[in-house]
Amino acid sequence: MSGRTIELVLAGAMAGTVFVTITAGTLVAQSRKDLHFNVGVRSGISVNNPYGSISVKPSLNNTVMINAMLSSDKVEIDSSQNGNRVEIQSHLLPGATAENGRVDYEVLIPADASITLHSNTGSLHAEKLHGDVTLEGASATVDIRDITSAHVHVKTLNGPVTLTNVQDGHVEVDSLSGEVTLNRVTGPLVQVISTSGPINYTGDFGDSGDYRLTSHSGDIEATVPETTSADVTASSVRGEVHDDIPLQPKAHTSFIVRQGSAFVGTMGRAAVSSTVVLRSFSGKIHLRKRTSK
Amino acid sequence: MNCVELQQSLAEVENGSSGPQRAHLKTCAECSALVAELNLIAATATDLRAAEEPSPRVWNSIEIALRQEGLIRPQSTNGARGNRSLLPSFGSRWTWARWVVPAAAVLLITAGVYVRQHSASQPIAANIVVPVAPAKSSDPAGLSDDDLLQEIAQQSPAMQAQYADNLRRVNEYIHDAKSDVDADPNDEEARRSLMEAYQEKAMLFELAMDHPLQ
Repeated sequence: MSGRTIELVLAGAMAGTVFVTITAGTLVAQSRKDLHFNVGVRSGISVNNPYGSISVKPSLNNTVMINAMLSSDKVEIDSSQNGNRVEIQSHLLPGATAENGRVDYEVLIPADASITLHSNTGSLHAEKLHGDVTLEGASATVDIRDITSAHVHVKTLNGPVTLTNVQDGHVEVDSLSGEVTLNRVTGPLVQVISTSGPINYTGDFGDSGDYRLTSHSGDIEATVPETTSADVTASSVRGEVHDDIPLQPKAHTSFIVRQGSAFVGTMGRAAVSSTVVLRSFSGKIHLRKRTSK
Repeated sequence: MNCVELQQSLAEVENGSSGPQRAHLKTCAECSALVAELNLIAATATDLRAAEEPSPRVWNSIEIALRQEGLIRPQSTNGARGNRSLLPSFGSRWTWARWVVPAAAVLLITAGVYVRQHSASQPIAANIVVPVAPAKSSDPAGLSDDDLLQEIAQQSPAMQAQYADNLRRVNEYIHDAKSDVDADPNDEEARRSLMEAYQEKAMLFELAMDHPLQ
């Protein structure tokens, strides 16, 4: 073997060693953890994950299955079960950062279980459940869909919030500056409070609920079908209000209705109507009629 | 029953429904207004879901504060992992968390008191004892926004700009809502908005407390 060949072999061997080391390092750093819990009816599951996403879907039986992908050994998972309650916590170890402290969860729970999810930066997703849903996060993106007969509570700092097909819900969304979008969300109480984020509602306001959409400086837009029945009050202290749908005026109002900054009236059949309050200080308010495609 | 006796009797029957109370309220507009305001505050407090179970993080922050005060001790340990709480473990770094929860509560109480003061008649309002909050700023709740931002700057600088921006916006919200209540103290929607504005600020502090550290 010539000297040149030996050099090439040694170089290749060294490169291979480095590659294996890096690969092994990656394998060691990233890990997956699976957890299983048996629970009864109407159980409670809590997942607190500082960095990373949490996705929750229904399981086929009374089991809670957690699939967690840990980005490094700077984070570990603590879990406990106390009767019908399961708590999961991503535990950041010294030196953890948003990158190496990240954990992504996929969680399957009984459909009647209540969940509490918390993440600051990842996405929070829950679907096809009928237990109570509580989601909190600073910058977390919140996506909730296909929820029935449940309390849905969401709090975010600036993460966008989207609720789709939430029926018969007791819905409360608080967001400082995130955009809030509600599609086909109905129930006895639907309340959104935002400081500066816009609020978009698309749906028919159910048939006997209390709907309150409030934003200090964000715009509020509600798009409803012509068949909607609702008592509507809309007012913006400094913004404009627009109404594309003819409302039957109300004889008495609790405040002075100034043209262009407020409107009050009933659409559809008053006997089966919901109460809708749209309120902003400096944002625009627009009640639109949904056009059929 | 005179006005003083009625106000004293509200400690026992706060909604003014007893016979002597009702008799006095029929003839006294000021006391009627007072009882109406108290009922409104009670109803609004219900809306704020004060009776609901606090989140585990709230309990955790209380636990941390009690430990720091030396009022409770950690349970016996079986190694370092033995006594690790499953609840969020950032309290040791967020020492200021111990005042954040009561501060948020004070915010909401302050909102109720503000609404009540600005809609009650003057002589009666003067008799109301306003809760004294720790004075650190001109905020009626005694909260120091600067403290909050300083802590975030130290612990999580990447989030400081976001919190500062949202803090500014929510303070504007409170300012505008107060102006609205001042302009028309009988506007129920305006008063509700003020409560919601304070609720937003309380939520901001709660989220700040929840934020983990790098």
